[in-house]
Amino acid sequence: MANSANTNTVPKLYRSVIEDVINDVRDIFLDDGVDEQVLMELKTLWENKLMQSRAVDGFHSEEQQLLLQVQQQHQPQQQQHHHHHHHQQAQPQQTVPQQAQTQQVLIPASQQAAAPQVIVPDSKLIQHMNASNMSAAATAATLALPAGVTPVQQILTNSGQLLQVVRAANGAQYIFQPQQSVVLQQQVIPQMQPGGVQAPVIQQVLAPLPGGISPQTGVIIQPQQILFTGNKTQVIPTTVAAPTPAQAQITATGQQQPQAQPAQQQAPLVLQVDGTGDTSSEEDEDEEEDYDDDEEEDKEKDGAEDGQVEEIHRSKNKWKFHLKDGIMNLNGRDYIFSKAIGDAEW
Amino acid sequence: MAYQLYRNTTLGNSLQESLDELIQSQQITPQLALQVLLQFDKAINSALAQRVRNRVNFRGSLNTYRFCDNVWTFVLNDVEFREVTELIKVDKVKIVACDGKRFF
Repeated sequence: MANSANTNTVPKLYRSVIEDVINDVRDIFLDDGVDEQVLMELKTLWENKLMQSRAVDGFHSEEQQLLLQVQQQHQPQQQQHHHHHHHQQAQPQQTVPQQAQTQQVLIPASQQAAAPQVIVPDSKLIQHMNASNMSAAATAATLALPAGVTPVQQILTNSGQLLQVVRAANGAQYIFQPQQSVVLQQQVIPQMQPGGVQAPVIQQVLAPLPGGISPQTGVIIQPQQILFTGNKTQVIPTTVAAPTPAQAQITATGQQQPQAQPAQQQAPLVLQVDGTGDTSSEEDEDEEEDYDDDEEEDKEKDGAEDGQVEEIHRSKNKWKFHLKDGIMNLNGRDYIFSKAIGDAEW
Repeated sequence: MAYQLYRNTTLGNSLQESLDELIQSQQITPQLALQVLLQFDKAINSALAQRVRNRVNFRGSLNTYRFCDNVWTFVLNDVEFREVTELIKVDKVKIVACDGKRFF
């Protein structure tokens, strides 16, 4: 990469500055009687904002690390699913330790052998939920569906994906199709807290969608939506990677278009953390490029500077700049230099 | 005292915003936030001085210049920043540069 030098050093430098600052202020926090947790919160906020600003590339944070873990776990499990789709019991057990606690709660409820159950290859959620004899109530519980929505039927599509038809209280039928739920779940679950119901999201998800509703087809709810609205889960708007490919898959297939809307309605919710588009559009115009930074410099070698002397020269209308130790923000991205030499004509 | 000019950078602004949020939620006091910022000033100044080792050249046309309170402010147009690895072009850039130790 042409800009690998700067893009490698800037995130590292920022990260080291953050670490230094956080460590240095820890004592101050404790002296003031402020809890360490607040310090961690400060760090998280700081890192998140940096990520959102997209001024720095590859600025990893805990979220990204979680994403990486998830993706790594996702792939090997997919292979397992393809081969052992009948042995759902084994798989959830394997995946359970890797994921958070709430799944363990779900699994027992759904782990009943029998019924010809085809597990969707890449869906842990389906494993849990569509375990053979899952009763309507159990499925509803594991699906964490709001009251009144109960699974009616389980359908295996040609593509080998298991659809779950649920019927809402108003008689509308929705098909639940898990996709990418593995990734999401892994991300979601660690943050799950029991008892947190997000009502507004539920309403959004269950809004009846346009288009005919038939027993077999109809509105398809993405698993991530279910997760978000579940009783046992919190809305997790942070899973950036998962929803996007899921949506891509969904909009690709014809009959799923009606549900693209709710998916997209929720997409801004989901992707908002990313902060894409908003700031970059301004930056791209290059209208205001703030070359934030500063340098210590000296004019005519005045004063005692330690280290190198930087200066600003002018001759008639020709200006020469000798600057040092600066941070630049150009086109929305951050750059850093130890020395900068420039020419300009006024 | 270290220069406070780095507070208006991505790194500094995100720190200030985060501190503001904590103040809003009354998890920290403004005084504590100020201490954090002062610590940030020190950390960023020292990091820049010690951990960065690269050079940039630039060329453009000078639109305005100002020197006040030992602070230089320039606005350049149609500038090209050249680093060994890349070339960056911007239509307008504002440079704020601190002069000497008597910044404050």
